[in-house]
Amino acid sequence: MVTARRTSPRASTVRRRATSLPSILLLASLTLAALPAQGQGLRYAEDQAPGIVNPVFTTTMPEARLNELVFEGLYTDNQNLASVPCLAESSELSADRTALTVKLRSDVTWHDGTPFTSADVVYTIEAMKNKGTLSTEKGRVAWIQKAEALDDHTVLLQFERAEARPEDKLLFKVLPAHKFSGPAIKRTDPFRNEPVGTGPYRFARYNDDNSISLESHADHRDAVSIHEIVMREVSDKNYQAKLLLYESLEALVRVLPRDLAVLQNNRKVDLYPYQTNSWWYLGFNLERDPWREPAVREAIGHLVDVEALLAPIGTGDTLTGPYVKSSPYYNHDVPSWDYSTSRAASLLESAGYAQDGGQWSRDGEPLTLNITAHQTLESSQEVVINLQSQLQSAGFDVQVEFLDEAAWKARIWREHDYDLVLSQWTFDRNEDIRDQFHSEGARNFCSYGNEQVDELLNKARDTTDPHEKKAALREVHRLVHADTPMIFLWTLDSYAALSTRVGSVVIHPFYFFTFVHDWRME
Amino acid sequence: MADPQLRHDDTPSSDLARAGSWKLVFPVLRLVAVFMLTLAGAVLAIQLLLWASPGDPVDLVPNGEEIRAQLEAEWGLDRSLPERYVQFLGRALRGDLGSSLTYRPGATVTELILPAAGRSLRLLIPALLLSMGLGLGLGLLTAGRSSVVRRLAQVVSVAPVFLLAFVAVHLLNELAFYGMEAGWFGRPGWFALPDTDSAMKSSLAILVLAVGSGALAEVHAAVEDEVVRLRNATFVDAAVARGAPVWKHVLWNLLPPLATIAYGRAAFFVGGLVIVEKVLHLNGAGSMLWQACRLRDYPVALGITVLAAAAVCGARLLGDLVRISVDPRLREVAQ
Repeated sequence: MVTARRTSPRASTVRRRATSLPSILLLASLTLAALPAQGQGLRYAEDQAPGIVNPVFTTTMPEARLNELVFEGLYTDNQNLASVPCLAESSELSADRTALTVKLRSDVTWHDGTPFTSADVVYTIEAMKNKGTLSTEKGRVAWIQKAEALDDHTVLLQFERAEARPEDKLLFKVLPAHKFSGPAIKRTDPFRNEPVGTGPYRFARYNDDNSISLESHADHRDAVSIHEIVMREVSDKNYQAKLLLYESLEALVRVLPRDLAVLQNNRKVDLYPYQTNSWWYLGFNLERDPWREPAVREAIGHLVDVEALLAPIGTGDTLTGPYVKSSPYYNHDVPSWDYSTSRAASLLESAGYAQDGGQWSRDGEPLTLNITAHQTLESSQEVVINLQSQLQSAGFDVQVEFLDEAAWKARIWREHDYDLVLSQWTFDRNEDIRDQFHSEGARNFCSYGNEQVDELLNKARDTTDPHEKKAALREVHRLVHADTPMIFLWTLDSYAALSTRVGSVVIHPFYFFTFVHDWRME
Repeated sequence: MADPQLRHDDTPSSDLARAGSWKLVFPVLRLVAVFMLTLAGAVLAIQLLLWASPGDPVDLVPNGEEIRAQLEAEWGLDRSLPERYVQFLGRALRGDLGSSLTYRPGATVTELILPAAGRSLRLLIPALLLSMGLGLGLGLLTAGRSSVVRRLAQVVSVAPVFLLAFVAVHLLNELAFYGMEAGWFGRPGWFALPDTDSAMKSSLAILVLAVGSGALAEVHAAVEDEVVRLRNATFVDAAVARGAPVWKHVLWNLLPPLATIAYGRAAFFVGGLVIVEKVLHLNGAGSMLWQACRLRDYPVALGITVLAAAAVCGARLLGDLVRISVDPRLREVAQ
């Protein structure tokens, strides 16, 4: 029998000699493990490294944060979030508020040593407005009718209409004209891999592990004390806090709520709370039945226990409209939907639904609902599963699905193939919700339309009176809440976590690194 | 019972091995034809998968909808699937795999995937060798007797590579962390996995690939069977009678089955590489394929697929050559 099992002296010899081979291979591979420690500098984690580095094509927060280190705008924020000159030295607004003469700093050089001039500002504005530049940032210059270089360090900006505080809108990053060959900027331009800015850090390299290394810009007017910053790609958010504890990172932009307690109790980590202009929402597809019926949307508003959805994922403020509570545009007079199954039932009955065996149906068709969420939206799984449970117990047939970025864009934005989406919007301090709620808004995938809201949004855009703008946007808040194209959920409390080796830390709520020149590192 | 002398040629992929050394032309041509057909099939399969998945690269371009028609024409997405397929094959035959659309816009696929493939090969080849070596060693150790080692190896090996990698990373990190906190040792150069690139991380990837998803168990079982068979073989007894070293005969005769297993496992190793590189944050062709699929970067995904299919087919060819060079009986059978 070939399967007989016995041992013999010759077999033992064979075993001894042959087993030495894998042992040698294993030992050899493991003894290679000792490597020198990593270089000094600040390492921070992002979920995904940008494929290109060009502020004209910014679509994600990791890109916006990286841009803040490498590029600069004419104006920037101070620690009170008020506009202060950056590449600009001073400016003068015309009497009719339709033109601004900007005097530029003369002590600025690009990272490649070329002097910064007004030609760069004019080129950036013209290129961003150019139809051939498929920029996501067009809106940031759409209000500028014309840019003209008066001399090497003076630019005249003429606006489409009178502007109240144009400096607040001059935050877009300026690009080096000498690095581009045509009037339009393309994603495939070589600039994508060799970006040149005027910021405190210059792009050093893309590393093999998808991380991006930045080095301090020696000629920058504000010397930084941290000489190297590395953006590490750590796609698993659950692992980012571990890496901070292990001292493999020095900064986490946002801590997951479940990691807060662990980091708070660690003597090597400091937590920094900050307020973002982000809010979560459940968006209806207003092109599809029965979600185009206000009574059905409002009924769901009464069936969603927002506090119960928020509790497992962190702390924050529940909202009734499209602004965070600290915003001047938030309308505090708008009441939240009370959680009421009886109110929801009467609304559904008024829409022709009847409950049979606990399940809502109309004309024999059960009331079904498909909840769609983005895969990468933090904590979305907990929220969606709990929401599914809430609505199922209220008599809905609920399905859930999670989509990646491409599927999300195709299904939600392009094909409008959804019932209810769970998502989040994040804004800079201008809090411009026009794209989301104007009937012609580029990001209005819910297909919401209300003439009164359109007029108010136009008014808020065009007025130079801040009080008028505030009143118009507060009214928008009220109207949008009443129309319920979305159920507004919450804004989450945000915490950054940094190693105690990093000191003098002040965090910008949107761009994060705006005040990095003040940061110190042991 | 089959004649043990003829056991090596009963695998379905031994066309080359069945041929004599001077009669290799036809089998080689046939192998090349199979190689090309496999590549074409792999390209078709990945094109179908990408086509069927929701969303396309234009969806991932900011403001892409505004210029969808322009981009679709530029990227060839306005053509039918068969047209795209033929166009890709035609270009690939000329060595042009196109340019990246969304992963690294504008970069040529060749300049992206060749360095990544090099990094992946530095994991794959040692993993394959280590798998064979470990399986051989354990097989020789446990052949013909009941052994705890065998059961342990099988239990560990049956775990999928992602689980092994995850558990290994977690354990190593926690051990190192507590060791450092307790002051037992300083910070190791590899700490913390998988964020820090180090030889330790590469070694771990190699080990996981070599052991996980049944790789070690398969080699181990095959070696055990073969060793038991060889112990009863008359030519081994003859060698013993002559006073010749037995281990040389055994190892030499183990090479053909090991080669068969090695090229049979090549496809699994390439598949496992995608997972291992993802879990361990290794920037090779596997993680690039993952990213390319996620970003619907069709040219990059297709380029890596072609490369992977070529690697698997190449492994098969190499395996056949090893077998035929080691075992003269295979040539005699063919002649």
